[in-house]
Parts: sequence; structure tokens; C-alpha cells
Amino acid sequence: MKKDSRIESARRRARTAKTAVGALSVLVFGVAFVGAKVHAPGHAKGKATPLGAPSSFERKVRESVAQGGQIAPAVQPPPVASSTS
Amino acid sequence: MTAGAVDRFRAMGCDVAVAGGDRATVAGVLERWEAAFSLFRPASELSRVNRSPARVLAVSPLFARALNVALDVAAETDGLVDPTLCGGWPDVVVTGRLLSRPPGLALDLNGVVKSLAVDEAVATLTGPGFVSVGGDLAVREPVDVALPHDGAIRVVAGGLATSGTATRGAHLVDTATGRQSESCWEQVTASGATCLAADVAAKAGFLLGERGPGWLDERGVPGRFVGVSGAILENDAWAAGTRAVQTCT
Repeated sequence: MKKDSRIESARRRARTAKTAVGALSVLVFGVAFVGAKVHAPGHAKGKATPLGAPSSFERKVRESVAQGGQIAPAVQPPPVASSTS
Repeated sequence: MTAGAVDRFRAMGCDVAVAGGDRATVAGVLERWEAAFSLFRPASELSRVNRSPARVLAVSPLFARALNVALDVAAETDGLVDPTLCGGWPDVVVTGRLLSRPPGLALDLNGVVKSLAVDEAVATLTGPGFVSVGGDLAVREPVDVALPHDGAIRVVAGGLATSGTATRGAHLVDTATGRQSESCWEQVTASGATCLAADVAAKAGFLLGERGPGWLDERGVPGRFVGVSGAILENDAWAAGTRAVQTCT
């Protein structure tokens, strides 16, 4: 009987130790996972967005392709001429 | 107003005039564009791209930028000013520095390269002045400019460009037919917010023929059209800009 109770208590201690090690492993993994997600630059924190100029900038550039310039009557002898080249 | 000296030299196969800036700096900018995009230089990036049989290839940031602008211009003009000269521009895709196009489809960025170079060169000026390359110019101060078939205009801001057949003959291609354009105009001069805008407007106005003046007016772009007979037509935006200011007495 005494021998049985010693074996039983050893099993209990082993079970407790296994549970503690398992819980600790899950905790360490969870902390590392969250830490990596928040701090490591290689882990996306939000939705991926395409690289490049903002669409508002691209729209502005496109608009200028067809924008008129400012002209006025000439008042001096021109130093330069516009012609086909 | 261009009180400073005007420096004149040759670059990109054209007469160049610079006021208000450093000649060497401007020449360096123009040479960089010429070295990358000249179809007459076998070692230029454009020549190498056109020789390559690959469907997808990596290009320089400058090349990607110019081609993106050329594709935007093609979209804006409904393919009138087309970097493929054959209506193939929708099949050309630039993603970052990767160019994808059907094998054998050659590119010609002449439609935008000179004016982009002028816009970059004028940005290097240290003070008021202008840069003119072969008659396409951008200003940093009001500049008076002589026009084809007599007359002059003051470019207050932006750029001015002329397109047509007067100097080089029929070199503009009608992408709808794939043949040299048979426009009713000999030369079209347009004023734009930049030299690129002016150049695109002048080319589109020329290629559109009789519809050119109206097309430019719809966009508020001043245009001056010299017909093959020598008759001159100014669209409404041009006439409004050049109308002498009435002074009250």
C-alpha cells in the first residue's frame, strides 16, 4: 500500500510538471508571436497596400498632360522662336 | 524678362537656347535623355529594348518614368500620340521597373522625350529664364517667343511647342491608319502648363486635322494652326490669351 501511494504521488507530480511545462510553452509562444507581430518589421500589422505614388498624385500628373499654359501679347523682340524641329 | 544673356548650343539634334541657368547643367540633362532614348544610338536603352526578343524585361527608372508618361499621354489622347506608332499601346504594361509588351513590338518615345527633357532642364535653372530645345520651350519667367509664319507671343507660364511638317516633312504617324499623317495643318503651336503638355497638345491638334482647334478648346489649351495654304487660325483659348488688355482712361 505504501509503495502504491509513493508511485501514485510520483505520477501526480509528473502530471503537474508536464502541465506546467506545457502551459509555459504555450505562454512563451503566445508572447513571442504577439511581440513579433507588433515589433518585427517583416510582419505586416495591417492590410498590405501597393507601393508607389498615391493615386491623387498620379491623377494630378495625368491632369497636367492636357492643361493649357498662360499666354499674353508679346511686348519685346523675341529672343527665341517656336518651330517644328 | 530674359534680360540675361541667352546661351545657344546644339543638343538632341536641335538648336538649344538657355537663359538663366548653367549651360553645362542643362547640356548634361539633355545628354542623359538623348543617351537613353535616341533611336540613332545603337547603345541607347531604347534601341536595346527594341532589339530584345524578351516579352518582359527590366528597364531603368528613367525609362520606366518616360514610358509611363507616354502611356498616360496615349490614354489622354485616345491613342493619337502613341509610343508604339501602331495602336499597340494598350498591350504595353509597366509595373515598377518591369516592362511587358508583345515580342517584336517596337517603342518610339519621341513623342514625349524632348519635352520631358526640357521640363527637367528648366527645373535646374537657378533663376528666371527659359530652356528651348528645337523650338519647344519651358519658361521660369514671361518670355516673348517668335511664331511660325510671323508674329510673336508672350509665354507667361508653362511651355510652348510646335508640331508639324514644316521642317522634317511628314514624320507624324496617324495611328488609326499607320501611315504618315495627312493633316490639313502645316504647323500647330500650343501652350501648355508644361512643355510636355504643350507638345502633346500641338501633336494632337495637328493629327486631329479640322477637329484640332475644338479639341484644344475643350481642354482650355491655346492653339495656333497654320494651314498648308499659309492661313492662320487661332482657337478661342489662344485668341482670349492674346487679346490686348484694354486700359481704362
